[in-house]
Amino acid sequence: MDAAATLRRTAAASWRPLLTVTVLLGAAEAAQRAGLLPVFIPSPSQVIAEAIRDPRLITENVGQTALRAAIGYAISASIAITAASLAVLVRPLYGPVYNLGVTLHSIPIIALAPLLATWIGTGSQLQIAIAALTSQFAMLVGTIQGLRAADARQREMLHVLSATRLQMLRYLLVPSALPYLFAGLKIAAPSAVLGAITAEWAGADRGVGAMMLYALFAYDTPKVWLSVVLTCLLAASGYAVWAAIERFAIYWEPATELADQP
Amino acid sequence: MVFEGRGQPVVALDKVDLHVPAGSFGSIIGPSGCGKSTLLRLVADVMQPFAGTVTLSGDSPRTARHEHAIGFVFQSPTLLPWRTVRQNVELPLDVVGRKSTRRSSKTPDELIELVGLKGFERALPHELSGGMQQRVAIARSLVLQPDILLLDEPFGALDEITRQRMNLELLRIWAESGTTALLVTHSIAEAVFMSDHVHVMSARPGRIAGVVDVPLPRPRSLDMMRTPAFYDCVNEVRDGLFGRESEPARAGEPVEAY
Repeated sequence: MDAAATLRRTAAASWRPLLTVTVLLGAAEAAQRAGLLPVFIPSPSQVIAEAIRDPRLITENVGQTALRAAIGYAISASIAITAASLAVLVRPLYGPVYNLGVTLHSIPIIALAPLLATWIGTGSQLQIAIAALTSQFAMLVGTIQGLRAADARQREMLHVLSATRLQMLRYLLVPSALPYLFAGLKIAAPSAVLGAITAEWAGADRGVGAMMLYALFAYDTPKVWLSVVLTCLLAASGYAVWAAIERFAIYWEPATELADQP
Repeated sequence: MVFEGRGQPVVALDKVDLHVPAGSFGSIIGPSGCGKSTLLRLVADVMQPFAGTVTLSGDSPRTARHEHAIGFVFQSPTLLPWRTVRQNVELPLDVVGRKSTRRSSKTPDELIELVGLKGFERALPHELSGGMQQRVAIARSLVLQPDILLLDEPFGALDEITRQRMNLELLRIWAESGTTALLVTHSIAEAVFMSDHVHVMSARPGRIAGVVDVPLPRPRSLDMMRTPAFYDCVNEVRDGLFGRESEPARAGEPVEAY
């Protein structure tokens, strides 16, 4: 597949969603101008105007949140993937690791953030810690499921070859785990962004979450909406990065082509 | 061989006494569920017998396995989907290490050519048909020049035409390599055509009901399937499987095609 074909395919695949978004935004704009929507729902143009009037609002806040979410995500990924691998390789660790993951995942972040803030402060460390906590579970489950996903016959095949545990891991278990691992990484990326933003509510000077909070208290609805849009974009791009990497990394999945698909 | 199922243990294999002379081609035939595959897995050290012993030229299956003396072809191709055809054939070499002396005198590319897949070296498994995938699996099982080649219904999923071609190929490869072969099948004609000795199994618990020696000369050719000697052996195996039933099959009862 050459670059031109990829570009053509991307364009062909994206015109429909783009059209949908444009139509919806247009409808919202028209409805607001016709007075059909409550006064606290701004028109899309007001939100865009907000962004254009003060670009520093975006550059200073988005970068901050993205960086903290990314650091938290990276820490979480390395710990979760290591712990999951150990849980699969060392039987007795399986239960404790899984239980700890579930427990951490079921803590309500909205309550934990202020509590953690009184303990470790409201600096970057708080947002990083919360981002790590909210994103760990998907990666933990993905890795555990993935490392157990290898086909039994293929295991036997390597067993007959007297493959060592390390060879079994390298030639079979890790490659079979990749699709599951990517699923975990994709689900976890938006979680890390949302975690970082929630943590910013507990007190942060900058960040999309802080911007959202200040705008809420000031009844500045266009700015609140702008922060919501920024959150969505940030979360979606976290997902998109991994989806793009996955497409290149998992090259062996046969494409299912059904006759009735356009 | 006893399985601890739910409730009472199920005896999967009982009083199995089977001898395959070195360099010969043996086969095991029997109905589904008689433990043919289990028997093969005992020989390959995938499973351990509850009682009894398996020896391969005096060694235990474990020793033989560690010495990479066993080649195994499964019912399904069990190729690694992320490896190309050549990389799949080279997998056993990767496992034993490239410096190991245990390897076929043929290169992986020559083995790929031997199974008729020249030109597909760089294809991924999902780009091949089931029959082609199974041929890759056969090339892979030969790359370490095993002392014993275990074949678990290797061509069961193939069409009749490909199957007969593959059988001839397999016999040629086997004759060339001098390895001992043990084939599990549920085709009577295939068992007789391929083997020196056909071990007939009965089901539940699985046991060897009899051994049929095939006097056909080697190398075998498809013409031999028309000879009286071939039919005698086929009939003998069928008698071993079904008993000598003088009355014709009752209406509605399935009859084995050949």
